Amino acid sequence: MRFIKSHISLIFPMVAILMGLEFFIAFDRTTKGYEESLKDSYAMLVVAKDEMSIDDFRAWDKHIYKVAEIEKSKIIDKVDLPFKSSNTLNIDKDMPNFYSIKLNKYLNNRELEEVKRNILKSDRVTRVETFDTLHNSNYGLFSSIKLAFQTFILFMTIIGFFLIIKQMEVWNFMHSERMKVMDIFGASLFLRSKALIIMAIIDAIISAIIASIVFYTIQNSWVKGNHIAILEDNISGLFSIDDLITLTFASIVIVLIAVFLVVINVKEE
Amino acid sequence: MANIIVAQNLTLSYERDEEIIQNASFVIEKGDFVFITGPSGSGKSTLLKSFYGNIKPQSGTLLMGGLNMSTIKKPKLQELRKHLGIIFQDYKLINEWNVERNVVLPLWIAGYSSEVQKTQAKRLLHHVKLSGKEHKYPLELSGGEQQRVGVARALSKNPFLILADEPTGNLDEYSSNVIWDLLENACQQLETTVVVVTHKIPSVFNIPYRHFTIDELGGIYEVH
Repeated sequence: MRFIKSHISLIFPMVAILMGLEFFIAFDRTTKGYEESLKDSYAMLVVAKDEMSIDDFRAWDKHIYKVAEIEKSKIIDKVDLPFKSSNTLNIDKDMPNFYSIKLNKYLNNRELEEVKRNILKSDRVTRVETFDTLHNSNYGLFSSIKLAFQTFILFMTIIGFFLIIKQMEVWNFMHSERMKVMDIFGASLFLRSKALIIMAIIDAIISAIIASIVFYTIQNSWVKGNHIAILEDNISGLFSIDDLITLTFASIVIVLIAVFLVVINVKEE
Repeated sequence: MANIIVAQNLTLSYERDEEIIQNASFVIEKGDFVFITGPSGSGKSTLLKSFYGNIKPQSGTLLMGGLNMSTIKKPKLQELRKHLGIIFQDYKLINEWNVERNVVLPLWIAGYSSEVQKTQAKRLLHHVKLSGKEHKYPLELSGGEQQRVGVARALSKNPFLILADEPTGNLDEYSSNVIWDLLENACQQLETTVVVVTHKIPSVFNIPYRHFTIDELGGIYEVH
């Protein structure tokens, strides 16, 4: 019972930390896909007196990566004017040029306003429409979900670290006498801490496997069944086998730091 | 005779504390059996600790097997400790290890094979009359038996020097006599140097010995 308890008391906080880390990795990966789709479906409209090239736009703002000219005839077609048929040619001549602009990433409101200001600095541009109401609602929802997740992850990680500090105190209590005796008989630092290192590495690997199983289960049952738009479209990005390696590595690094701190704090009497 | 311990004007103190041992000069040679006595708090245990590098000299010189304990580095100290046998009043056994593992601790640290460790454990446990108790844990043994495990551990790697801090301090007369017999044998048969810190020299002791005493001021004198 004591044996199981001593393992669980490290595995539990490690799983909490690794879940936090995996949440961060998976959420970042899945939301990147969602962010990409938001970016692709979003475009600004620019009205200019003269004809412009993509280089003109790029010179004004670095976020602009794609410019498409909207054909005037298509706009005229959509406008229902009684004199349209007779004067189409004249209207066409007098009409300004319309451009649809795509950005290289999904920007926040402040950045969007800055792009608008940069474009309007040109005398050739008469109007810029950012459609910020639609943009704001998408961005607001997305940002609040992201912030909520990040806060949750942060708290989980902090609690995990506090539990590990507690576990280090337990290790110190359990192993310091043995390490002191071994030191008296000339054992090296590695030999003194070998038992603790082996135990900690085994627990670290078990923790990584548990955290991976949890995420694999989330990916294959919970997300698939709950139709969460942000995650569902990028479900394959939620957990990958590479994550198991990342989690195992992170887990081993954390426990080795904890073991090292315990070992160097064991002083001879 | 080779000098095992050489102290010249040795002064020992704990940090910020007053000097415990002052200007001690003595030589302990190979095969000597030495008792160090003195009143409580006189610094007997501190002196013994300085022999295995637990405390560094504040001034003066202390040579252990030719190694200067003032300047010794950790790897060299670890090497020295591998060749010492140390016995404590409170036994300092590892309670979660069985008797056999405790006995062969110095051999395990030195990297001996498990076959050698097993053979040596069997021989030593027979020597200290604990055959059949290999798989017991320290807390399942009496105080006398635990100290015999401590002695077996100290003898396991044929050390050139045995340091014993009040080895019979917690034992009854019978168990104390068993421990003295074991230490006498180690000194007489193996020519191991033995330094024992104690309150009282046993009334019956069968081999020649040297006796140092520490006074209240931290001075060390050889009695005879």
